[in-house]
Amino acid sequence: MVEAPPVTQDKVVAENVNVYYGSFHAIKNASLKIPAKSVTALIGPSGCGKSTFLRAIDRMHDLTPGARVTGKVLLDGQDIYAPEVDPVVIRHRIGMVFQRPNPFPKSIYENVAYGPRIHGERNRKVLDATVERSLRQAALWDEVKDRLHHSALGLSGGQQQRLCIARAVALNPEVLLMDEPASALDPIATSKIEDLIGELKNEYTVIIVTHSMQQAARISEFTAFFHLGEIVEHDTTSNIFTRPKEKRTEDYITGRFG
Amino acid sequence: MAVSAAKPGGAPLLTVPSNVKIRRAANNVMTGLLWLCACGVVLMLALLVGYLFYLGYGALSWHFITAPPSEVTAGGGIGPEIFNSFYILCLTLIFTVPIALLSGIYLQEYAKSGRFRQIVIFCAESLATVPSIVMGLFGLLVFVYLLGWKFSALGGALTLTVVNLPALMRVTQEALGSVPDTYREASMGLGATRWQTVVHVVIPSAVAPLITGIVLISGRIFGETAALIYTAGLSVSVNNPYDWSLFHTAETLAVHLWYTHSESLVPDVARIGNGSALVLLIMVLLFNIAARFLGRALSARFTGRVS
Repeated sequence: MVEAPPVTQDKVVAENVNVYYGSFHAIKNASLKIPAKSVTALIGPSGCGKSTFLRAIDRMHDLTPGARVTGKVLLDGQDIYAPEVDPVVIRHRIGMVFQRPNPFPKSIYENVAYGPRIHGERNRKVLDATVERSLRQAALWDEVKDRLHHSALGLSGGQQQRLCIARAVALNPEVLLMDEPASALDPIATSKIEDLIGELKNEYTVIIVTHSMQQAARISEFTAFFHLGEIVEHDTTSNIFTRPKEKRTEDYITGRFG
Repeated sequence: MAVSAAKPGGAPLLTVPSNVKIRRAANNVMTGLLWLCACGVVLMLALLVGYLFYLGYGALSWHFITAPPSEVTAGGGIGPEIFNSFYILCLTLIFTVPIALLSGIYLQEYAKSGRFRQIVIFCAESLATVPSIVMGLFGLLVFVYLLGWKFSALGGALTLTVVNLPALMRVTQEALGSVPDTYREASMGLGATRWQTVVHVVIPSAVAPLITGIVLISGRIFGETAALIYTAGLSVSVNNPYDWSLFHTAETLAVHLWYTHSESLVPDVARIGNGSALVLLIMVLLFNIAARFLGRALSARFTGRVS
């Protein structure tokens, strides 16, 4: 368990966020403060809305027909849902790693260079440097440096997921959202991803959805417990796991449901 | 949940319960039937190709595939018809591919739901069911009479555009639809716009089915007859058999095949017919083979070498 650092400025603040899929009310009045350069875990039983909440922070619900978000999500105090804000800018500044590794059917190099390229970077030297820096940050450089121009689909699942992390950090996002990034991986690949998250929080604010309470306990400083679309409790990870204030949190932590 | 009790162990493996025998027999019968039907398809193509080769092989010569056709005497060739077939094919693709591609992209990537999308799909499906001879008569009214182009390569190509647009739009839609949504999510999640996602991720991932579809439809355009009889005409250009003008009469190979058998006065109808049919068939087969290879090669090129 990681000790909570001294309180710093909040990087992401959710205020009364509601998400609807058609008439289904998936997230109910969720409010959450996420300090900069920390790891916050979102835990809870399947279908409790933790992934839905995570996607609201990146405006990914804009892409889902029938999904609607109300409330505010502040990034450094500015509402990302304000009408004049372009979601493209938000997704540039907030990166996302998905549950299943989803590299593009392109070369390893092109996968990592994709983000900088679409945001206008054409200088080959800059791209080369970004690709190397990102792959190093994702602890993948040594394994792929001799085959950068081979297809990313030839990598193993764990390597593909680290490639997706490299692809996200290539844009130097301020916040990195991870949606159960290790759930499709074997234990060795999982522990590599977890080590990596420990490194990444030195530079990025990490919010991670996880199905595994052990994983939340291992890697996060803060934990929010979701149940039935509500945030039941949010505190330091050590408090959540040792001194939960809510009965529902305690029942979940101790394995009485979920 | 109730779990049924485990079977008692120890039954000999070689005594097969009767109901397993019946299921096994049914499986064997159906396997055989499916195999026979699949063979039937192969057999039909082989018979068709073999018979046409048998009939048409004697007619094939360098003279036959390059010489201009003859109106009344024996010994005419099909050179200008082959040229016209490719010329009209290229014109048609120039008109069809961009419209089909862009409308397919709109339907698949932009208009995820909504009334306008349904209207477009309904129109395309209706258009696809109109017989091509009706399209030919429509072309006759619009291009030949109304616009006064007479019989022309351009009129023929535009008529074929209308005939093949729905199918190609469908091909585009299906090709793009085969690209997993996770690619789109990944791209948009990196801050790409919808259009950047389409251009840099979706289309490169769909290039194999797209090319395959376009080449297969090219084969259909190449062999199309009814829509061209009243629009591109039944004779080749009088001034120059290999005429690049958009407004010359442009009888294609498939139309020529129909024409020699039904209207022509030449004495060697059978020879010309068999030869033309064979050339047409070989061309269309080549399109199909090319579709497979191109699709595979381009897909490898756009998706990076697989290690």
